[in-house]
Amino acid sequence: MTMKLDRRSFIKSAAATSAIATAASLFPGISFAGWEKLEDAAGMITWHKAPCRFCGTGCGVLVGVSGERAVAVKGDPNCSVNKGLCCVKGYHSVQALYGKDRITRAKVRKNGEMVEVPITEALDLIAAKMKETISSHGKDSVAVYGSGQWTIPDGYVASKLFKGCIGTNNVEANARLCMASAVTGFMTSFGIDEPMGCYEDIEHANVFVTWGNNMAEMHPVLFSRMLAARKRNGDVEIIDFATRTTRTSQAADKSILFKPQTDLAVANAICHEIIRNNWVNRDFVNKHVSFRKGLTNIGYGVEDHFQFQDKPEGINFAEFETFLKDYTPERVEKISGVSARDIRYLASLYGDPKKKVTSFWCMGMNQHTRGTWINNLVYNIHLLVGKISTPGNSPFSLTGQPSACGTVREVGTLTHKLPHGVVMNEHDRQMAAEIWNVPVENIDPKPTYHTVEMFRALDRGDIRFIWIQVTNPMVTMPKLKRYRDGALKEDRFIVVSDVYPTPTTDVADVILPAAMWIEQEGMFGNSERRTQHFDEIVPPPGEAMSDTWQLIEVARRLGYEKQFPWSRDEYIGKIWEEYRRFHDSPKHNMAPYEVLRARPGVQWPFVNGRETRWRFNPKYDPACTSGEDFHFYGHKDNRAWIWARPYEPAAESPDQEYNFWLNTGRVVEHWHTGSMTRRVPVLHNAMPSSYVEINPDDAAELGVVNGDMVKIISRRGEVAMPASINGRGVPPRGMVFVPFFDESYLINEVTLDAFCPISKQPDYKKCAVRLEKA
Amino acid sequence: MKKAETKIGRLGIGFAAICLLGAAALSAGAAPDIPHGFDWDGEKIFNRYNETPLSAMTGNDGTRNLNSFYGLRQYPGSPPRIPHAIPPAFADEPYNCISCHGRGGYVAELQAYAPVTPHPENEACFQCHVPRRAEELFVETDWQSINPPALGRSQLGGSPPTIPHPLQLREDCIACHAGPAAVAEIRVEHASRGNCRQCHVPLIVTEPVKEFAR
Repeated sequence: MTMKLDRRSFIKSAAATSAIATAASLFPGISFAGWEKLEDAAGMITWHKAPCRFCGTGCGVLVGVSGERAVAVKGDPNCSVNKGLCCVKGYHSVQALYGKDRITRAKVRKNGEMVEVPITEALDLIAAKMKETISSHGKDSVAVYGSGQWTIPDGYVASKLFKGCIGTNNVEANARLCMASAVTGFMTSFGIDEPMGCYEDIEHANVFVTWGNNMAEMHPVLFSRMLAARKRNGDVEIIDFATRTTRTSQAADKSILFKPQTDLAVANAICHEIIRNNWVNRDFVNKHVSFRKGLTNIGYGVEDHFQFQDKPEGINFAEFETFLKDYTPERVEKISGVSARDIRYLASLYGDPKKKVTSFWCMGMNQHTRGTWINNLVYNIHLLVGKISTPGNSPFSLTGQPSACGTVREVGTLTHKLPHGVVMNEHDRQMAAEIWNVPVENIDPKPTYHTVEMFRALDRGDIRFIWIQVTNPMVTMPKLKRYRDGALKEDRFIVVSDVYPTPTTDVADVILPAAMWIEQEGMFGNSERRTQHFDEIVPPPGEAMSDTWQLIEVARRLGYEKQFPWSRDEYIGKIWEEYRRFHDSPKHNMAPYEVLRARPGVQWPFVNGRETRWRFNPKYDPACTSGEDFHFYGHKDNRAWIWARPYEPAAESPDQEYNFWLNTGRVVEHWHTGSMTRRVPVLHNAMPSSYVEINPDDAAELGVVNGDMVKIISRRGEVAMPASINGRGVPPRGMVFVPFFDESYLINEVTLDAFCPISKQPDYKKCAVRLEKA
Repeated sequence: MKKAETKIGRLGIGFAAICLLGAAALSAGAAPDIPHGFDWDGEKIFNRYNETPLSAMTGNDGTRNLNSFYGLRQYPGSPPRIPHAIPPAFADEPYNCISCHGRGGYVAELQAYAPVTPHPENEACFQCHVPRRAEELFVETDWQSINPPALGRSQLGGSPPTIPHPLQLREDCIACHAGPAAVAEIRVEHASRGNCRQCHVPLIVTEPVKEFAR
């Protein structure tokens, strides 16, 4: 007796004797998940290259198009990033275009109700409102808040319009929340932004240390590249260094847990051991490194108008060594919970001259109230042993958004930045004014508000008009209630350009329908300095238009036709060639438009037709001119800087009343606030709602089992959500973890808006909460 | 199959499998001192991946197929019966099962590769898997099964199929979906990628589909 029904049907359909022939006879009849068929679904697909829409890895995908619809995805085998592999989000990414509640028409608020209007009417209203706000409250009362999902042209025209034409530095992007500390880390340690290495480091390294970085879920394609390298090369170890046990811990050779915030102490202890064991690469350090210290007890930015300016001071090696005296492995064991033995083990991996070491990190180090410092400290380790800028030796800061590097860091869509340099620098302002064809006086030399302060300014009324594009701050702002209440105040005008309704469109006065991803031409820039072009592959729905074109339409209505003269069929190419003038040097040269169109991504600096894979190394980097084996040309002294940065505690730690750490983050299925991935059926089904991970012992003490509702309460607010015990990850006792993708459980009601005083990036990984069985 | 059932009986408990793999315990490889069992025992995939030579993951025999696979089961997900004869001595030495089914390998006597169990840590094999000692039923039954999951459950052309079955006791993808003993229709050609669930996520066919709505 067997499965009656099926046996019969199987026998009918599978008459072939060989199983392989059976498989072939079964496959043609399948129907993909029962979807409705396109009318002309003859099975003809044309393939078009694009970078993936989601994280900062920058996988090349080939989008399959039938008629005017995207119908399939495959990994682009020509793209060196992923070599034909994607993750589950990438493979299903095109389904994110077709959610039934797609915004296809403009809406404006009339008597409290959102009413559909022709998009021209909405654009007229935006321009009029901007003019009115500027005339009654000044130019610094209008702001634009964009994103690391802005294409490069999106960010470029936003910066040109606001900084060059209107003359306000109220330009920020959500990348402030995700990689500002990476930028200030690079700027302070190297004087120039973005990683010196590239993904090819993965095939060369013997040791990987993932610093607070759950790569198995957050950068899955790079992670499986790492697993494949370990399998192939044999002599490879993966060390997971984290505050919680994850899928990455399961795959690692060793998992080391540290108490939140104490990565600072452990990094210093590693340096202490490297020096004590005489593993310092003296030749490298003497030739290429200088030492600095900065201010300490630098605060947490929780109060409005918080200001901080670091004061770098030169020190020598001996002074650095003295500074490290406090960080013996035994002392740091007490602070961090990492055993002295494990600290020595980590130091020995970095110190072993025969091992090539790559450190990976992302939000764990960047969303940190001492984010700049911990970036500096990991560079310190690599610099002390000279393991940098050579294949396999790489301190590698990963990004979380497809164009955090391309649009925010390279175009400079942050309050203090310009496409080249900073607003404070006269030469940089002159360059911008010349390329932008605006009077140099237009460009204000004083930065205004970083993201958290920008939303505080909106709450206070210093900002009255804000245009939000491609991001969902009403889910992602820490200490959310204050910023939502601020946005809802009378006399605030909120414009939101997006593709789906979100909690952010809920607070909008105008909603503009945006073209999404491959419904427009554009470029992204990934974590390894790779610029990736994509065409308009399918038409945008309804009246949706690219964010770039929305900005151009409004700029023209404000009287800046001269600065935005391009026609709609060639504007992306023209913008790219104008933007490229900002980077005309071997340190930053970008590939020409035609080259970008032809290839699945091009790494900059692109010099004499060649990409630069490892910077600061003259074998690979034509900008090196010192004649030495390395040239750290970012700082004026032509050296990389090691920083003495102490351990300082988190802004808020658990106490008697609020006795748990709250940590937040992502899961492999969903990206950011889930506004796209939750509309992909397979992703939603695999991960339909958020949860709070609780250690099994804490759960037992609290009396909750899997799925019970648990209230998470902080000094800011509370949220009740289902418990997850031994689910995707396991926090240690005294910590809970919550994925932030689910707008039904707004965990940022609970988080704290403390930030790194140098980078101004908030810390979403640490605040104090208590739990109650709901 | 009848032929095989008698063959192994004669063979006794000797090492039937010429193991392709080393002798290290299956738990080796994962980070020590981490909590175990979470994420549907996700570490099993990584362990299996680490210790299985690429040749053993990519080898292809093609003799097992879904017909014979479901032929041993009562409903999708039921424990398969044991299709070959077993000597009585096996009954109190479950590790004898694991010697072939822990890692797989070629069984000369059966002229077949041994299927690999996804849950070798459960050593009381006979608790769930039983041989067939009688051909005739006690009485006829009116039992009917639901359909097994359809093949190729991709959401769109070329996208990775979802995992149609629950992961409970089936945590180790590589055990069943890779290597020479894998069932031909569900065998993957790219087991060398290692992190299976970065592309394949559960969409359990016996559970209702969830619609997203704000």
